[in-house]
Amino acid sequence: MADSAAEARIDRALVARVLLNDDRNAFEQLLRRHQGMVRAQLRRLLHGDVAAADDLAQETFLLAWRKLDQFRGEARFSTWLYRIAYSCFLQACRKSPRSGEHADASEAERLPAVEHAIDLQLDFERAMRRLSAAEQSVLLHCVQMELSHEEAAYVLAVPLGTVKTHAMRGKAKLKTWLAAWHETADEEQTS
Amino acid sequence: MNQERDDAIEALLRKQFDGPMRDEGFSRRVMQRLPARRRRVRWPLWSGIAAGAVACWLALLSSPLPRTGWRDWMSGEWSGPAILLLVVALGMAMLALAWGVAEAEDH
Repeated sequence: MADSAAEARIDRALVARVLLNDDRNAFEQLLRRHQGMVRAQLRRLLHGDVAAADDLAQETFLLAWRKLDQFRGEARFSTWLYRIAYSCFLQACRKSPRSGEHADASEAERLPAVEHAIDLQLDFERAMRRLSAAEQSVLLHCVQMELSHEEAAYVLAVPLGTVKTHAMRGKAKLKTWLAAWHETADEEQTS
Repeated sequence: MNQERDDAIEALLRKQFDGPMRDEGFSRRVMQRLPARRRRVRWPLWSGIAAGAVACWLALLSSPLPRTGWRDWMSGEWSGPAILLLVVALGMAMLALAWGVAEAEDH
């Protein structure tokens, strides 16, 4: 917690340096501090498309540079960046809807049947894709990126209640679809 | 059991997330594309404020209301113009207070 407060202070100081002195080095530091997570966020949202994720990440940081004076400190700088990145992602989706987005849905319908699938990771990936886009985004931000529900609501620009509902529903669905794995694990533990 | 399964799902989700990506020249590429920062021009705001103030002054110049209100206020006589002047002053003070509070919340 103290670490995160210190990180936020450093970010605010760097932002102030950029705004007051047009300090490009300060912006480069901000960029180096946050590029990893922003690119990981976008890569996840784009289901592993690294090139598209990097293009959007570049667009995100160029927008952040232009709009830096609009950063008022009401959220952490990283959260503000995730919000810009998510909005770039939504715009890209509107421009070119990804046809393969839910292509795995019918395949995933068969999940419970593959009770003893070789790779849990693969099943999990397919189960994730079977979730709605909103549930995937909420689980990405709340669980994988470890943002609070409030921060996720800010990034996704949705009400807090919606975030909580999607998080709960998403986890419940995953639990149901992957129940076979749990039963196997339970059986293995008892035997 | 239910909590355990929740934890297991969360653990799987975290495991599936690769975490921050390595830079591998990304920052350098972005920095090369960074345009020059445009300074925010402040003169239109201040010109607007000055023009508004002059327009108000010109509009009220021919009216006896402000002078009468001010004179009555100073002599402690609560006439219509004095009360009007007081209401305007209070209104402006409230607006300034609301703006100050909003700015403080933002920071």
